[in-house]
Amino acid sequence: MLLEALDGDGTVVFTAAAASVQVQVEPVGRWLEAYVKRRNRNTSASFQELEEEEASSEESEDEEFQLEEYPMLRTLDPKDWKNQDHYSVLGLPHLRYRATQKQIKAAHKAIVLKHHPDKRKAAGEQIVEGDNDYFTCITKAIETLSDPVKRRAFDSVDPTFDNAVPSKSEAKENFFQAFAPVFERNARWSSKKHVPKVGTMESSFEEVDNFYSFWYNFDSWREFSYLDEEEKEKAECRDERRWIEKQNRASRAQRKKEEMNRIRTLVDTAYSCDPRIKKFKEDEKARKESEKKAKVEAKKREQEEKDRARQAELEVARLAKEKEEEEAKQAAQLAKKEKDIQKKAIKKERQKLRTTCKNWNYFGDNEADSVKMMEEVEKLCDRLELTSLQSLNETLASGSKEDSKTAVEKQVQEVNAQLQREREAEVQARQAARSADQASGGGGGGGAGKGWNEEDLQLLIKAVNLFPAGTNARWEVIANYMNLHSTSGMKRTAKDVINKAKNLQRLDPLQKDEINKKAFEKFKKEHSTVAPTIDNAVPSERFDASGSDGNVASWTTEEQKLLEQALKTYPVSTPERWEKIAGAVPGRTKKDCMKRYKELVEMVKAKKAAQEQVAVKSKK
Amino acid sequence: MAAIGVHFGYTCACVAIYKDGRADVVANDSGDRVTPVLVAYRDTEQIVGIAAKQGRVRNAANTVGKVKQVLGRSFDDPETQTHKAETKCQVVNRGEKPYYEITAGDRPEYVSPSDVAKLVFHKLKETAQSALGSDVADAVITVPFEFAHAQKRALREAAEAAGFHVLRLIHEPAAALLAYDIGQDCHSGKSHVLVYKLGGTSLSVTVLQANGGMFRVLNTHTDHSIGGESFTQALAQHLAAEFKRTFKHDVSSNARAMMKLMNGADMAKHSLSTLGSANCFVDSLHDGIDFECNVSRARFELLCSSLFNKSIQPIRALLEQTGLSAGDINKVVLCGGSARIPRLQQMIRDMFPDVELLSSAPPDEVIAVGAALQAGLLVGRESLSPEEESVTVDVSATDILVKEVDESGAEVFTVLLPSGTPLPARRHHILSGGGKLSSLCLEIYQRLVAEQPEKLAKIILRDLQPREENHDIDTVVTMKRDGSVHVSCVEPSTGRSEVVAIAASS
Repeated sequence: MLLEALDGDGTVVFTAAAASVQVQVEPVGRWLEAYVKRRNRNTSASFQELEEEEASSEESEDEEFQLEEYPMLRTLDPKDWKNQDHYSVLGLPHLRYRATQKQIKAAHKAIVLKHHPDKRKAAGEQIVEGDNDYFTCITKAIETLSDPVKRRAFDSVDPTFDNAVPSKSEAKENFFQAFAPVFERNARWSSKKHVPKVGTMESSFEEVDNFYSFWYNFDSWREFSYLDEEEKEKAECRDERRWIEKQNRASRAQRKKEEMNRIRTLVDTAYSCDPRIKKFKEDEKARKESEKKAKVEAKKREQEEKDRARQAELEVARLAKEKEEEEAKQAAQLAKKEKDIQKKAIKKERQKLRTTCKNWNYFGDNEADSVKMMEEVEKLCDRLELTSLQSLNETLASGSKEDSKTAVEKQVQEVNAQLQREREAEVQARQAARSADQASGGGGGGGAGKGWNEEDLQLLIKAVNLFPAGTNARWEVIANYMNLHSTSGMKRTAKDVINKAKNLQRLDPLQKDEINKKAFEKFKKEHSTVAPTIDNAVPSERFDASGSDGNVASWTTEEQKLLEQALKTYPVSTPERWEKIAGAVPGRTKKDCMKRYKELVEMVKAKKAAQEQVAVKSKK
Repeated sequence: MAAIGVHFGYTCACVAIYKDGRADVVANDSGDRVTPVLVAYRDTEQIVGIAAKQGRVRNAANTVGKVKQVLGRSFDDPETQTHKAETKCQVVNRGEKPYYEITAGDRPEYVSPSDVAKLVFHKLKETAQSALGSDVADAVITVPFEFAHAQKRALREAAEAAGFHVLRLIHEPAAALLAYDIGQDCHSGKSHVLVYKLGGTSLSVTVLQANGGMFRVLNTHTDHSIGGESFTQALAQHLAAEFKRTFKHDVSSNARAMMKLMNGADMAKHSLSTLGSANCFVDSLHDGIDFECNVSRARFELLCSSLFNKSIQPIRALLEQTGLSAGDINKVVLCGGSARIPRLQQMIRDMFPDVELLSSAPPDEVIAVGAALQAGLLVGRESLSPEEESVTVDVSATDILVKEVDESGAEVFTVLLPSGTPLPARRHHILSGGGKLSSLCLEIYQRLVAEQPEKLAKIILRDLQPREENHDIDTVVTMKRDGSVHVSCVEPSTGRSEVVAIAASS
C-alpha cells in the first residue's frame, strides 16, 4: 500500500544511485547467451529498439530535404529519356546516389502533384497528347529510380561522376590532396561497406597495407547495362532477343573491363606515387641491409671462431705427433744400441768358440774329420743363440778336450735335429697346402679324401630324389637325412651336400654308370644279409640294420617289443635292472640289451636333432 | 540440432544427449547410464568402463582410475603425490609431468593422464553417437569449480583428442542448476541455491545466486577426503571384521581379498539406498572360504554416522562464511551418486526445513543433463573464445526499494529491483495505493546489503480520482549499465504519469 503524498511535496531526486558493479557469472543459460549477443553487437537494449532508432533518424532527415526544381523540365523530350538525368528530373540533383527510397518517393509525389497533365489541364495549360508530354520523363525517372536494379544501372553511369584518374605528375607534388578525393569518389562503387581511407603521412604500415590490398581487390558493383544500345524489349522474336542479349553482354563486358582498368590504373598510380610506400620500402631495405650485415658479421665471427678452433686443434695434433716421433726415435735408437751390443757379444762368442775349437784342432784326428767338424762348428755359430753359445763356451773353457768334444757334438746333434725338424715341417706344410688345393679344387673323384664313399653317394642320390627341388629348406633336409642314414659317421653340412650334388651332376655318364652299378652290387649284398629282418621291419629298424650290419645278430620285432616292455616294467631305480631286463628278453644277454638300448637312445636323439635343426632353419 | 553433454567425474562419467528440445542420459554398451572412469591396459587392448572395474581384482597394477586428479597437474603437485600414494598403478616422473607406468606388454609403457582421459572420452563419444545415430561431436563438458586453468585446458585437449568439438566448459554446480531449470525465468527475482555434490571421492558444496537468468557462484567448498568410497571403505572394514569373527581369518592384509570385499560392499551400499537390508556375498574370499553377510540399513548408517556428519558439516561453515542463513537458501540441489543415501538426504532436509530439496532426477546424472541442455543452447551459434569463458557482467550494486505501509500502518520496503541484477534491466511492478487518496507518494530507496536504506527520490502523483477500489500504479524501473535508475509511474485510469531519472554516482 503506497503512502499518501503530503502537501507541498513534489517529485524530487535526493541523491545519486550507487554505481553498478562488475561480477563474474557462470557461462550458462539462455539469458546469458542473449546478454553476450547483445553486448557483442554493442547495443544497450534489444535489437528492435536499435532498428527503431534508425528509422527515426531517417525520418528526421526527410523533413530536412528540399526539392530543387529542374528548370529544363518542360523542354525535355520523352523520346530521349535515356539521356536525361533522372535525379534532376525528380528534383534531387544534390542527393543523387545518396537519396533514400523514401526521399525519392516523396520527391516524385511532390513533382507529380505539380506536373500531372490533369493538374495542368485544370490550370488551363495546353497539353501535348499521348506519350509526347514531358510528364513521361517523370514517369521514366521514377520507374528507373524506384527499381533497385535499374537505379543501380543508372547510378553506374551517373553523368556527373568524374572518372578521371590523376596523373603521376600531379600526384608527385601533393599525393594526399590529389588522391584523397578520387578514392573517396570511387568508394561509392564498392560492394563492401567501410572503405578504408587514404589516410595521412602518419598512417601505420598496417593501415596503408590494408588500404592498398582493399583497392587492389576492389569489388565494384558498377555495371553498364544502362548504356545498352539495343533494347531487349524491342525484339520481335526470340532469336533477335538472343542476338541483342549477346551484343549487350559483349559491350557491357568491354565497359566493365575498361572500368576495372581504370580502377587498377588509379591504384597503381597511387601506389607508385605514395610517399609512405616509398618510406616503408626504404625502411624495409634498411632493415634488411642491417640484418644482412648482422648476419654476415655473425657468419664472419663464426668462421673466425672455427678457424681459431681448428688451428688450435692442429697445433695440438702437431705437438702430439712430434712428441710421438721423438719417442719413437729414441726407442729405435735404444733398440739399435742393444742389438749392436748383442751382435757384438755373439760375434765375440762365436770367435771364442772358433778359437777354442781351433785350439782343440776341431777334435779331429785327421784332416777330414777336422774339416767336417769345422763345418759343423760354423753351423753352430750360425744357429745357436747367445746364451747357448755362452754356456757352450763355458763348458769348453772349463772341460777337457773329450768333454768339450762331447759337448760340441751334442750341440751339433741338437742343431742338426732341429734343422731336420724344420725341413720336415716345411715339407709337411707344402703337402698340406697341396692337399688343401686339391680339396678346394672340388674334391675331385668320388673317393678323394672327403669321405664320400659309394654308400654315401648312393644315399645322396636317393635323398636328392626323395626331396625334389621345391622342398622347404631342401639341402638342410638332405644333409640331415644323410647324417641320419649314413654309415660312415661323417657329419655333413648343407653346403657339402650341395657341392657334392653339383659335382655329381657334372660327372660324366660313365662314372655315373659305375656308381649305379656299384649301388646295385651293394644292394644285392645288403639284401642278402638283411633279408630275414626286412619284411617285418619298421623304418627305424631298417636304419639300425644297416648301422649294426654284421656286428650283432639283428633284433626281431618281438624281441624289440619285449625289450621295450622290460624297459618300462623295470624303471631306472630298479636294482640290477639290466639283469632283469635280459631275463625278460629270451635269447639275449645283459650286454646285448644294454647295447641295443644305447643304440636306440642314440637313434632317437639323432632323429630329434635332425628334426629340430630343420625346424629351426625353416623358421629362419 | 543435436548436441552432447558430458560429465567427467573422478570416479564416474556420464553422457547425455540433447535432441528435439530434450536432454536425456544415454546408456553405454553394457547398459549402464554411468560409466566408471577406469581404464585397464592389457597387452593388446585397453578396456574402459565396467569391464575394467570387473577385471581390476586381477589387473590392479595396470588399471588406471581417478585420472581427473592428476590431469593437467605437474608431478610435484601435492595432489599428484597423494594420487601416487593411493593408486595401485605406478606413477613416474617424466619431464615434471606424471605418467603411468603400464607393464602389460613386453616392456613398460608410459601413459600420460591425458591419454587415459582421452580413452574415456572416446568411449563416451561412442556411446552418445550410437544413441544419436549420427556423428555429432559438439559437446559441453563440465569441470569442478575449483579447476585451475591448466587443468581445464588439459581436460579440453583430452576431449578434443577423442574427437569432441568442445563448445564450452561449464562448472558442475551451474550445470546442475540448468538441469533443474532454476532461475531460467529472466524476471524472477534473486534467489540463492545450494548445490550439494557428493561424488565417489569428493565432496563439494557451492552456494550460487541466481538473478535475471544468470548464476553467480558466491562461495564454494571442496573436500577430496570424503566421498562414496569412504562409505564403501567403512562397510568393507565392517565386513572384514565380521569375517574375522566368524572364520578367525584376518583378510585386511590380503589386498586382493580386500578389493573383492570392496566390490561386494559397493554393491551392498547401492542396494541399501533403496532396501532396508542387503546381502553381501563374496565367493572364495580367503582360503577358498565363501563369505556371506547381511547388512541392514540401520547398521550401515551407524557405521557411517561420523562420515555422514563430516559430509554435512561443510554446509554450515560455508553458509556462515557467505553471510547467509539456512533460511536464505531457496533451493537445494543434490548431485553425485552418494547423494542417493537416504540418511544423508534426511540430514540435509533437517538442516533446511522449509526448502525444496531437488533430487527428483538421478543425482549422478543431473550434471550431464545440464551440460547437454547447455550444449543444445550453444550448438550452431558462434561461441565465446575459451579465455572468455567466465563472463563479466554489470550488475546492480544495491536493492532498489519502495517504501510502503502494511495493513497495520507500519513501514515496509518492497524490493523493486534486487541487487545483483544484470544490467541493463527493466522491472515492471503494479503498486497499489489506497483508493480514497487523491495523491500518492512513491519513495524510492536503495539499500546496500544490510544497511539502513538510503532515500534516492520521491515521486508524487496528484489529482487522482478517489474511488472504491485501490489505485493501481504501473511502475517501471529501468537501470542502465552504469547504474543510473529511471522510474516511471502511470495511473492507468487517469493516464497521469510521473517520471524520475536518478543518475549514478561515478
